[in-house]
Amino acid sequence: MSYISSIFFDGLFAAAASAGFATISNPPKKAILISASLAAVGHGLRYFLMNSTPLDITSATFVSAFTIGMGSMLCAKLVHFPAEIFSFPSLLPMVPGMYAYKTILSLISFMKSDDEALLQHMIIEIFRNGLTALGIMTALVVGAAIPLFIFYEQSFMMTRRKRSAKNQDT
Amino acid sequence: MNEKNCTEDIQELSDFLLDYAVSLMGVGAHTARVVRNTVRIAECYGYDVDMTIFQRNVTMTVKNSHDSSIRRTYVRKLIPMALNLRVISKLSALSWDAYDDCLPLNEVKAVYADIMAEPPISRWFVLLAASAGNAAFCRLFGGDIYAMGIVFIATLIGFLVRQELMKRHMDHRIVFFISAFLASLIASAGVHFNIGGTQDVAIAVSVLYLIPGVPLINSIIDVIEGHVLIGLSRAINAGILITCIALGLYMTLIISGLGTDI
Repeated sequence: MSYISSIFFDGLFAAAASAGFATISNPPKKAILISASLAAVGHGLRYFLMNSTPLDITSATFVSAFTIGMGSMLCAKLVHFPAEIFSFPSLLPMVPGMYAYKTILSLISFMKSDDEALLQHMIIEIFRNGLTALGIMTALVVGAAIPLFIFYEQSFMMTRRKRSAKNQDT
Repeated sequence: MNEKNCTEDIQELSDFLLDYAVSLMGVGAHTARVVRNTVRIAECYGYDVDMTIFQRNVTMTVKNSHDSSIRRTYVRKLIPMALNLRVISKLSALSWDAYDDCLPLNEVKAVYADIMAEPPISRWFVLLAASAGNAAFCRLFGGDIYAMGIVFIATLIGFLVRQELMKRHMDHRIVFFISAFLASLIASAGVHFNIGGTQDVAIAVSVLYLIPGVPLINSIIDVIEGHVLIGLSRAINAGILITCIALGLYMTLIISGLGTDI
């Protein structure tokens, strides 16, 4: 599979995951489509950044989350929904599940083991995976929240003029 | 904004504002949005509102902006509700509609009642969509087609159990523990019967549909906006739920004997 198509598939599955998780929190139908496309852009971007630039997974996540935050602000402006409605579900595919799992796994081995060398190895594993998971999570949330503070006043006005705009059209 | 006469009854308005704030908090809006929207609605009837929101209750003082002897102060319990992005969106839009078009209070109340009465997406559709979503998620972590199938089934059963237990009002933490345990246990069958090449991915992903993403994001937003205490309490609640998920997964790993042979 070529590089371009693997970025494309990465985005495609991220969109599917985002749409699936979004339905749990009962969003408006239009919002599902938008958050799925934002998720595709965000996750595809992260895949690209991790493979083609020196950025590690945490900083790549930060850049992608920031992009998603900006994108959801723009979409909020266009369709008059609060921006969080789009950004919440589109961030979910970037949740560091695998690292969290490996942390728990190495925690269990650590508690069961007697071998000195293995114990040391497990300490490293616990910290490496645990800190990466924590870092990704923080980067995800802070990156998506920054656009909210850049456009702080506007972020509360996104749902305004829905009715008035419609009245002017008719 | 013109000077508004306080035409609406303060008692009726306070009751409505409390309902409104409690609903908006319950469905998962961040605190600053709740405060802003509530203040905005009161403003269009010529009243000032000051409010404090904590994790368990909301305190609100409504007073006439021209005559501060007319005032009411209430404390109301917050009700935990299911996360509902559609309601957040519609209630925010309602506050602007009330503000811009100067709707009378009984009309606003009628719209509010309509929004709250709207049925959520069918639970069976949510069940299928969440399972398919989690299967797609599995692919993102490098799982093969077998792992995706296992995750789909594991999520289907775990999520179904979660829906049923939630309907019976069981404690959230216990629900999260049980669903995480069941989902990962089913996924661990892949290791037992040696299905596909990426069984560990299947186990890891099978519990991720439970991650409380929205409360986590809300908690950071709240803390940065200065609603530090409620932000921290949201973070702690999300942390407890994540711990329950981890415990469920831990149980599976102990039972199936994984985690000993790395």
